Amino acid sequence: MTRALIAEDEPILAATLAKTLQGLWPELEIVGTAPNGLAAVQQALALRPDVLFLDIRMPGQTGLEAAEELAERWEGPQPFPHIVFVTAFDDYAVEAFERAAVDYVLKPVSAGRLGKTVERLRALVDARHAPAGSVADAESLGQLLGQLQALLPAAAATGRLTTLRAAVGNVVRMIPVADVVFFQAVDKYVNVATADSEALIRVPLKDLLPHLDPDRFRQVSRSMVVNMACVISAGRDEMGKVTLNLRGRADKPRVSPVYAHLFRQM
Amino acid sequence: MQLPEAVPVDAGAASRHPFSGSSQRGLPGIRLLGTMALLSAKRAGMSSPIHSLLPAPRSRLRRLLADLPLSIAVSAVLAAFIGLVSGHFLENLVVSILIGIVAFTIVDGGRLLWWDRPGWSAREWAPLLALTVAAAPVAHFTGLRVGGMLLGIATPTLAEYPTPARMSMVLFTMLGTTMMVVLVRYRDRVRRIEEEHAAARLRAEIIERQALQAQLRLLQAQIEPHMLFNTLANLQGLIAIDPDRAGEMLDQLIQYLRATLSVSRTESTTLEQEFAAMDAYLGLMGVRMGERLTHRLDLPPELKTARLPTMLLQPLVENAIVHGLEPKVDGGEVVVRASVAGDSLVIEVCDTGLGLRQLVGQVHGRRGDGVGVSTTRERLVALYGERATISLTPVHPQGTLARLTLPLETA
Repeated sequence: MTRALIAEDEPILAATLAKTLQGLWPELEIVGTAPNGLAAVQQALALRPDVLFLDIRMPGQTGLEAAEELAERWEGPQPFPHIVFVTAFDDYAVEAFERAAVDYVLKPVSAGRLGKTVERLRALVDARHAPAGSVADAESLGQLLGQLQALLPAAAATGRLTTLRAAVGNVVRMIPVADVVFFQAVDKYVNVATADSEALIRVPLKDLLPHLDPDRFRQVSRSMVVNMACVISAGRDEMGKVTLNLRGRADKPRVSPVYAHLFRQM
Repeated sequence: MQLPEAVPVDAGAASRHPFSGSSQRGLPGIRLLGTMALLSAKRAGMSSPIHSLLPAPRSRLRRLLADLPLSIAVSAVLAAFIGLVSGHFLENLVVSILIGIVAFTIVDGGRLLWWDRPGWSAREWAPLLALTVAAAPVAHFTGLRVGGMLLGIATPTLAEYPTPARMSMVLFTMLGTTMMVVLVRYRDRVRRIEEEHAAARLRAEIIERQALQAQLRLLQAQIEPHMLFNTLANLQGLIAIDPDRAGEMLDQLIQYLRATLSVSRTESTTLEQEFAAMDAYLGLMGVRMGERLTHRLDLPPELKTARLPTMLLQPLVENAIVHGLEPKVDGGEVVVRASVAGDSLVIEVCDTGLGLRQLVGQVHGRRGDGVGVSTTRERLVALYGERATISLTPVHPQGTLARLTLPLETA
């Protein structure tokens, strides 16, 4: 039995998609519906579906972000779920999806279009019964997400930061951005690590990112942005997980499968 | 609710999220800004853009050259007349045309240089006749000399020039020149009227086209395709799941479309209409968002007839939903209320959504609703100047309050 999870914030649309899917694919079991991008990841991790329908515009986080987080947190023997993005008519992302060859359906969902998606999903699920690595799946998804992220317009940066102001007790420390080895998200804060110090700033990592030089600072996981000039080496373990060695730091941050392609040999 | 002091709104702040709002769609901010540009153009009389589209007036030299053949024709007719009387047909023709050209160039040139305006009175005619009288002997003498040179005939010097016969020819030249000027002036007037008609037609066409574009933009601004398609998707789903509710939702959609489409055609509306449209919009969003959205509208009966520009509330309410409550996991409430303060109308749109957020580092930023608010502000400035204001304030514990103040106008 194939199991599916639907992540959609509009309850009527979620019910409609479930109903249409049941009609087209009676053997499909809808194991749940998640009302936002955060719940989508939680439920996917808990329920381990084979297929995941992800709405793009959701509260909490977008479908793309949810897919990214899931790819990072997915572990264990089950293969990574097939993801189908669901998007509204005029989202410019449709073109990006076409180019990146990502599976997507348009809202309002037409039974004909969904039927084609179901056919393809069935073929993929059948093919999976032959043994295949879950990491490879996650990696291919990661590449697609990487393509998508490149295609989607980045938030307009209103200027590059050169110095960070971090409060340490009663003192505000000025930290040159060039000295930073990595930024790590810790709740709503970001831990700024240089070779010899650490300090917290009260800015979400997402908001900080557009103000950093994209050639120098690269995201390697959802919670970690690394100064590429400080990366000494990248190691890969037998599970295929990639970890980084950083200049002047003992931490060995893990690279999300989504970004593993950054550290593949040339 | 505790309201801290107003926060300056940064109009240019963009939404940071790839899918967080309309400002990220294909043409950022164009939809309302376009409308604004047109509205202000209308106020400025729309003169400059239209002028640039009309054909440029012809230069004076070209007009002079265009009229020259007429003068040659008149001269030729006169020469034929003289030739009939005195013989010497060819000589008379050449000399007459030369005289005509010189006289015409002086007189019509003067007219184009100094009295080139549509309405003529004695003030224009008198100096022109004087010029004609003065030009005639000069033209006659010059024409005679040049003609003589061309034809190889001896011509009189200036000293031996004045004879009674020649004086009568000068008089004849005067008559001929006057005739030409009257003819050319008449032709000019006819042409000018034609040109004015054509320009008026073109201008009317341009204005009509611009008005149509403005209306289209207004429509686009009001009915966002994303909103419409999502609503239709919900409707499509409801038809199968709950036909009764589908019917209700369709009613709301019709009401919303009717309200927004009808107000687009007029420049101002009543608060009652505007609130009805907002009620329908929030009702539709309520079906879509389910339990995540509640809304309340508070319009005192005496303010129902108060007038305000169309589409003033729409961007603010849409902001509250799109940037405040839709991206918030738990959703919340929108309250729209109107009140009077002195001789001002105060409209507040208050939401319990994500609220104003500060951007990284230096500048005050908005969470992406800068476009809606800044266009509303520009519109208010264009319509009311200093007499209208808009402010955005954070609301505790979470949310945003948009407050519009404008002169109270009741019908």
